[in-house]
Amino acid sequence: MIEEKPAVSPAFRVASIAILAAVTTVLTRVVQVPLPARGYINLGDVAIVFTAITLGPFSGAISGGLGTALADLLSGPYAFWAPISLVVHGLQGLLVGLLSRVRPGNLGLQVVGGIVGMAVMAGGYFLAGIFIEGAGPSLTEVPGNLIQGGVGVVLGILVAAAVLRAYPPLRQWKW
Amino acid sequence: MIAEFYVPGASFLHQWDARAKLLFLPLVLAAFFVPSTPLVLLLLTATIAAVIAIALGPSQLVPPLKTLWPVLVLITVLTPPFHPEGAALLRIGGVTLLTHGGLTTTLTLLARFLGITYGFFAVVRAMSLDDLVLGLRWFGLPYGACLVVTITLRTIPALALTWHAVRDAHRLRAGGSARGRPPIVKTYVPVLTSVMIEAVKGIPVLAMALESRGFGRRNPRTSFSGLKAGSRLFVDAMGLAAAAAALLWPLVVRW
Repeated sequence: MIEEKPAVSPAFRVASIAILAAVTTVLTRVVQVPLPARGYINLGDVAIVFTAITLGPFSGAISGGLGTALADLLSGPYAFWAPISLVVHGLQGLLVGLLSRVRPGNLGLQVVGGIVGMAVMAGGYFLAGIFIEGAGPSLTEVPGNLIQGGVGVVLGILVAAAVLRAYPPLRQWKW
Repeated sequence: MIAEFYVPGASFLHQWDARAKLLFLPLVLAAFFVPSTPLVLLLLTATIAAVIAIALGPSQLVPPLKTLWPVLVLITVLTPPFHPEGAALLRIGGVTLLTHGGLTTTLTLLARFLGITYGFFAVVRAMSLDDLVLGLRWFGLPYGACLVVTITLRTIPALALTWHAVRDAHRLRAGGSARGRPPIVKTYVPVLTSVMIEAVKGIPVLAMALESRGFGRRNPRTSFSGLKAGSRLFVDAMGLAAAAAALLWPLVVRW
């Protein structure tokens, strides 16, 4: 029989973070969603929002940061963004999780958390980009990051609600 | 999807110790951010490019350029307007398009961006991810963190296959490929939900596997699974004692 709070087990925490980090990496690297206008976005932010809402802020921070960092490392040319992604997306997951935790299940707080996380993510990449590629080019990437973050928030909240309904044990796994 | 970017080989770059390669990365970052002239930074970039060309082959210089050339163009076009200081170098119709300060900053940013890209590219191309994890462990990354990274890397290919299989199954259910661009929410929420459920279902199984191998063992040991104590335990224990007495009674009598 499974204990009431399996998430206190170190093995469970390692397993949950590793698997959800892998999900984040796959959704960042493999999945490309065409936009109505032009270009593509990835769904890595969906995984980060989903993890933060369902498993809590620490899972969201660690698996979100690690997953996106590994995606950058596996890409080759974007490898130097890995440390930046680790911090920026980690913060995103942490903030989404912390705000969602204030009142679990509250849609308004999840949306607010998602927007705050999205803003921190876009702002973090912009600030880091100023030093690496200059303010001008870094500014041109902000709209794309905001669109990607926004899609991540909407889909992440919807998927979290659907999965919690379809797989109830997930409700016991927050830490 | 490949699970890593590493290409096996026997070059001096491959034979370089993984720990040294890991130390090289912050050195590259520091070198490109130390105040310097564009010429020095361009020479540094050229040196790193030469190392890649000699160790991995000149063709390996192309993939980063192919991926990042739009950013290089943006840097070239958008940096001068933000840096109008210095003597004017290019004026058209009374409008200063390029100044000395703009040119210096543009060349610095180009060298920095390309140099850091090539530096990290050289390391990930010539170092397997297993060596990366072992190197991080040597530098003091806790065992649990290394285990997380290793498990994540091993899980990625299987999850990628799961994604493709689930997406294809949903497409078949929807009646083949839709014309035009399908709505994002209607298309992706069912696929994402199925993939996420498949992923989270594996968490307890993996946790039990780790525990069975002794992960997390310390005094006192924690356990993912446990048995409920209470009246049932007393009844079971009494039943067991009675069965033992019944089985061993002939031995006791004979003795």
